[in-house]
Amino acid sequence: MNLISGIDVSASALNAQKTRLDIVAQNIANAQTTRGPNGQPYQRQTVSFETELVNRTGGTADGGLPLQSVRVASIQGDPTPGQRVYDPQHPDADSTGTVTMPNVNLAYEMVDLITASRAYEANLSVAKNARQMAIKTLQIGK
Amino acid sequence: MIDPIFQSDTYQLARKLLDATSLRQEAIASNVANAETPGYRRLDIAPDFATELRARLANGASPQSLTTLQPHLAEDQHARSVRPDGNSVEIEHELLEMNRNSVDYEYLSDLVSYNIKQLRVAITGNVT
Repeated sequence: MNLISGIDVSASALNAQKTRLDIVAQNIANAQTTRGPNGQPYQRQTVSFETELVNRTGGTADGGLPLQSVRVASIQGDPTPGQRVYDPQHPDADSTGTVTMPNVNLAYEMVDLITASRAYEANLSVAKNARQMAIKTLQIGK
Repeated sequence: MIDPIFQSDTYQLARKLLDATSLRQEAIASNVANAETPGYRRLDIAPDFATELRARLANGASPQSLTTLQPHLAEDQHARSVRPDGNSVEIEHELLEMNRNSVDYEYLSDLVSYNIKQLRVAITGNVT
């Protein structure tokens, strides 16, 4: 039994959403990177989450369901091919004068950014609420 | 000898409901955390807790018998899923539920506090 109820679940979700925000930042920052460490244009990264059952002491002994926390399962490259742009002056242009740009779509990234940021806020407000409840518990009898 | 003071019905009931409210907060935390998990079904206190509690109180159950009754989590069968991924969490609903739950919690903890304060007044004679 935790004093601040459900804080570990909220914390796991905050952590997962923060990773997602980091990856969005990385995608936007590299939206024009035509040559990465492997010589290839930057590949957009996507985050996938997975749930984890939370082991609670005595919580599931009575047949109740366990809580489910969230964690980052994997960060994978998006395999869709990047846009090919004709730009013969570009240093990474091939013999035909075209450059393969990263497959980052700024519109997708912005939507992802807002979604992750709102999810982060929602989890944060749950954590704050749990904290208020814990303070209230400590004031019992005062 | 001091036991009967703590066995008042409201006190016992408030304690039991505080357990349930605290557990519901955990369920809401899990629901908000999994708002984007495909196939996740929202958790809540199993409805048989409320019905069982009501039934036992209607039968004039003693406060001691309430200790065996524990709230536990179950999938919310009434939550409808309108999303293609089968997730039944609505974030607005969860946040409203959380606010309602925390008001419940404040009320119940005040009730428990009040009981203890009354006891203190009885012991010390100080009303302040």
